[in-house]
Amino acid sequence: MKDFNLILSGIFFTLAASFGGLLISGEVQLGTLGRAPAEEGGPLYPPRETGLAIQGRQVYLELGCVTCHTQQVRPAGQGNDIAKGYGPRPTVARDYVLQTQLLLGNHRNGPDLANYGARAKSDDEIHGHLRSPAAGSTMPAYNFLYVVDKNGVTQPTERAQALVAYLKSLRIDYNSPEAKLKQ
Amino acid sequence: MSQDHHRQSHSSKSNTGSTLPVRLFFASALGWLIISSVLGLIVSLKLQLPSFMAGCEWFTYGRLEVLQRNAFTYGWIANAIFGVNLWIMSALARFEFKDSWLAVCGWLGWNLTLTLGLGAILLGHLNGYALLEMPKEVAPALFISFLFAALWPAVAFVRRPTGHVFVSQWYIIGASFVFPVAFGITQLLVLWYPTSGVLQALIHSWFIQNIQLLWIGSSAISATYYFISKESGRTISAYYLATVGFWTYFLFAGWTAPASLLGGPIPVWIQSVGVTTALMMLVPVIILGINFFGTLSYNRGFAGAWNNTTLRFILVGIVSFAVSSALNILFSTRSLNAIVRFTDFTVGQQQLVNYGFVSMVFFGAAYYILPRITGSFWPSAKLVHLHFWSCAIGGLGLALHLLICGYPTVNSGVMSYYLPVIFFVLLQLVGHIAFAINSFVMLLASARNTHDNTHA
Repeated sequence: MKDFNLILSGIFFTLAASFGGLLISGEVQLGTLGRAPAEEGGPLYPPRETGLAIQGRQVYLELGCVTCHTQQVRPAGQGNDIAKGYGPRPTVARDYVLQTQLLLGNHRNGPDLANYGARAKSDDEIHGHLRSPAAGSTMPAYNFLYVVDKNGVTQPTERAQALVAYLKSLRIDYNSPEAKLKQ
Repeated sequence: MSQDHHRQSHSSKSNTGSTLPVRLFFASALGWLIISSVLGLIVSLKLQLPSFMAGCEWFTYGRLEVLQRNAFTYGWIANAIFGVNLWIMSALARFEFKDSWLAVCGWLGWNLTLTLGLGAILLGHLNGYALLEMPKEVAPALFISFLFAALWPAVAFVRRPTGHVFVSQWYIIGASFVFPVAFGITQLLVLWYPTSGVLQALIHSWFIQNIQLLWIGSSAISATYYFISKESGRTISAYYLATVGFWTYFLFAGWTAPASLLGGPIPVWIQSVGVTTALMMLVPVIILGINFFGTLSYNRGFAGAWNNTTLRFILVGIVSFAVSSALNILFSTRSLNAIVRFTDFTVGQQQLVNYGFVSMVFFGAAYYILPRITGSFWPSAKLVHLHFWSCAIGGLGLALHLLICGYPTVNSGVMSYYLPVIFFVLLQLVGHIAFAINSFVMLLASARNTHDNTHA
């Protein structure tokens, strides 16, 4: 192999093949995917995030939460995510159509958060967890998201409130045309 | 296809134009290696003691881990790739890289931009995709720096008037071309003009496979071919297979991307394509194995390799390459992937590739190249031994620990799980410091000599 042009065109072809085969076909199949109602005539899912949750998503991103937490539930045959209680159904492409910056994650030092909003019982529980994670957990305490007021009471900062609003917005407890909840 | 030239002795020590940029790339690679290993130590300490340095937002685990990954990949590995690839191209007879100032500009641009990008991550400006975490604004500068540091030297090399292209150089040309294309496309489609939803994840996985296999992997394969042949003094065995290996490697690598998203919210057919092509990677891997191990197996070649510093590192590298390739293929199948996905097992696989194979090969390359560009010997043989043993035990020990104990079912609630991690990371750091001391003493001494000579 001496010909530079031949090598370069070959390399270009191999890159173009995988780009076209995977990404352009993916775009053809998923590019126009939109929201859908859980039942006929019902509201569209996934719901739009509130302004506070959008700010919270930014906090989630800034703190690098995605390093340890995924937001995807695999189907029953592929891992035991559902058995572990990470979600009532697998996540599907439609669940993410509103997300301009996806936070799927690829490694779990902590639990999956795709349905955390439905699992968490109250704001206080989430704040408590952020300030002092369970013993034995590898999660650090995020005390810098809290301040002590004049009366000595610990108060969440705006960022902590936004983060909690975002975490509460993470839910997949609705029917999707591609993945129904178990009856 | 002639193989003669790669057997020719490397006669020109410092008269090729590439000496200065190669030195600069090595010096900065060493700096980033130390920084990333210190960060690696902090990160592993934080897993054992979550409250360690937890009071300050800058040093939160999520940021430091990202910082470590980027410093290691774009700092250490990238600079080592630039230096080694440039040197391998220049080491060939009849090629002198004349525009070395362009490569120096590339070096400056790349390292300055990287410093800025990592600073931004520390301050909390980060994205959620592995190796795309730096703010999108630094990407154009990285892209242009890459063209100066790697693509232009590769183009200049292949356009030289005469000479054959040895298998090492195919991989270098491939690597130098793939990075800017994959990086540019992914930056545009994921960060600048984001596609909708899970398509981003698909594009990102394509990027990671291209970067991992076709840029980093290709460069390490290139160096392996070159130094195995050069240091053992033998031609590559079954060289006729190398062409097939090269083209199948490049053809399949990009397609394996979805195998890293198994069970994720992407269409099942795309996942199946990933699994199938991951299995097809057996073809190039077997060919590379025949080429590498075949060449070393002649006439007590393994014993000879063990007694040669460069080949000793590369030997560890090719064993790691074989094991990690087998594991990657095996654990791309759905049933096995379901068990290990998202666990530390996958970190162990990464460690085996990026450290056991790639870093070890580049360490070996440094032991060959640095004495030749500085014209001096390694200051301390003890430090060379310390470097080898610390990094071999630290690197492979860490990979094995993560591969064996990395499942949550094995390690859940066992806090002592992270203690071996800390130990092995510390051992690597010791090795890296030994390597850096040895290298910097040599680089500084030769820089002083050059300086004296010009003033004399």
